Amino acid sequence: MTDTAAVRPTTSAVQQWWVLTVRLIKPTLRNGEVLTQVAASIMFTVGFYIPLKHIMSAFPLGLSSYAQYLMPLIALQAVTFAGVSAAFRSATDSVQGINRRFKAMPISPLTPLASRMSASMYRCSTALAVSLVCGHVIGFRFYGDVAHTVGFCLLVLLIGAAMAVIGDLIGTANENPEATMPLMLPQLLILGLLSVGLQPVERFPSWIHPFVRDQPVSQDVYALRALAGDSTPAAGEVTWSVVGPALAWVVGIIVILLPLHALVASRRR
Amino acid sequence: MSVASEEKTTVALGGLGDARPTVRRDAKENSPRRLVWHTWLLTARLLRRWSRDRATVLESLVMPVVLLVALNIVLGNGISQLTGHSALYGSVPLIAMVGAMSGSMVGGIGLMRERTDGLLSRLWVLPVHRASGLLSRLAADAVRIVATTAVIMCAGLVLGFRFRQGILASVAWLLIPTTFGVAFTMVVITIALYAANTIMVEATEVVWGLLMFFSSGFVPVDQYPRWLQPVVRNQPMSDAIEVMRGLSVGGPVLAPMLATLLWSAGIAAACAIPMAIGYRRAGMRG
Repeated sequence: MTDTAAVRPTTSAVQQWWVLTVRLIKPTLRNGEVLTQVAASIMFTVGFYIPLKHIMSAFPLGLSSYAQYLMPLIALQAVTFAGVSAAFRSATDSVQGINRRFKAMPISPLTPLASRMSASMYRCSTALAVSLVCGHVIGFRFYGDVAHTVGFCLLVLLIGAAMAVIGDLIGTANENPEATMPLMLPQLLILGLLSVGLQPVERFPSWIHPFVRDQPVSQDVYALRALAGDSTPAAGEVTWSVVGPALAWVVGIIVILLPLHALVASRRR
Repeated sequence: MSVASEEKTTVALGGLGDARPTVRRDAKENSPRRLVWHTWLLTARLLRRWSRDRATVLESLVMPVVLLVALNIVLGNGISQLTGHSALYGSVPLIAMVGAMSGSMVGGIGLMRERTDGLLSRLWVLPVHRASGLLSRLAADAVRIVATTAVIMCAGLVLGFRFRQGILASVAWLLIPTTFGVAFTMVVITIALYAANTIMVEATEVVWGLLMFFSSGFVPVDQYPRWLQPVVRNQPMSDAIEVMRGLSVGGPVLAPMLATLLWSAGIAAACAIPMAIGYRRAGMRG
């Protein structure tokens, strides 16, 4: 009896986090998931740009090219897809009971979540990098200074993190995550279509203006467009009134959902 | 259910006086009559399961409708001005196809789960017709696609979509997504039997996303670059959309119909054998 109550092993939170993160990332390199990530990011670029270029360019957009206009939405869709699919993967974890197993081990309750978020950020970074390369090919350029460019990337990644938290929450809370998560892509597409990412708000019917203008995707697009800049002054200045709402949406989503996530995760099954 | 009870009675009869029950193998297990009956039983089981998963049903029925409305708001005016026809004659079939394809993932995921739970192995050792397991999945998916298409059609009718070619054409219109949708389900089932869970889902999403963005229902074909137009015009989703356009507003039907049937038959033929082998393996190894 005395032997079994031996000293607790000293654990290092950083090492645990690293082990769990590698556990999530390694399979994606081996089983080809990284390929589907790249394919999805390319799909969002060519899928919006090639069919819509002519239709949308027929009307004045203000910016120098449609690629410049479209890039924020492309980056957002790619990163969102990455965040949600990462969350889908972690939801599979929770169904298979490994989260319960972790609870019985000397691991801080936040470490598994932190490692899942790191794995999500890895996917989001891949998606961002691929979509920036694709954007460069179709003619998108950064016109702002280095700080603005870094700000563009950070804001996109922050949005990806928020999406990963949403996905993780749904995945953890839902009894049947495998079936419901894949159906999130149409919803992302709907929010993307009904935003200022494809066309200016004036071209929507007037009854839907308030929704199109104020929904989070549009606010993010406004902020990203200003951060990316343009050869014409039409992209807008980088001011708090432009970037603020986007940051408020993202930070708000994360701040509200994290406690909710803790509540759901601590629930007994 | 009746299959299980049948087996039980056979065992009981054979085992009355004997210590080791001689199980009389049902000679009619592989008869065509049994095939129909067993497929029907298993199809009903899948549909019942599907209808009880409220969240999934709602998502797979409501989401396409919202997507249709959003697409119509964003692109409807521009396309109507370009072509002179309402954009709905392209976008309603487009969304019907998207609904058919994205919904097939649910079936694929269900199959994976039942393999993990051991249901496939359980069915394998019962006197069930071997083909009924896969056929019932395809039949259930066909019913699901017709239901989804009907809902999307109703939404289209509310928005201003009209059938101008008579009742027979309208009924045919309703069945077109099923022909290609079932072939696509075969692809999804095949991937589900061989690849990892997440790959199946993401690959399927990329495939239907690409087919949607590069089809004649998203924007008119002449909007694509010249070198891409043959691809856009001849991919299976465009063919199906053109048949449905012809059956609703009017236009050529025969040529795109043949192309759709050829695509579906080709995909089905390519998948049939790997799918059967994969299913057998899944059933035997659990």
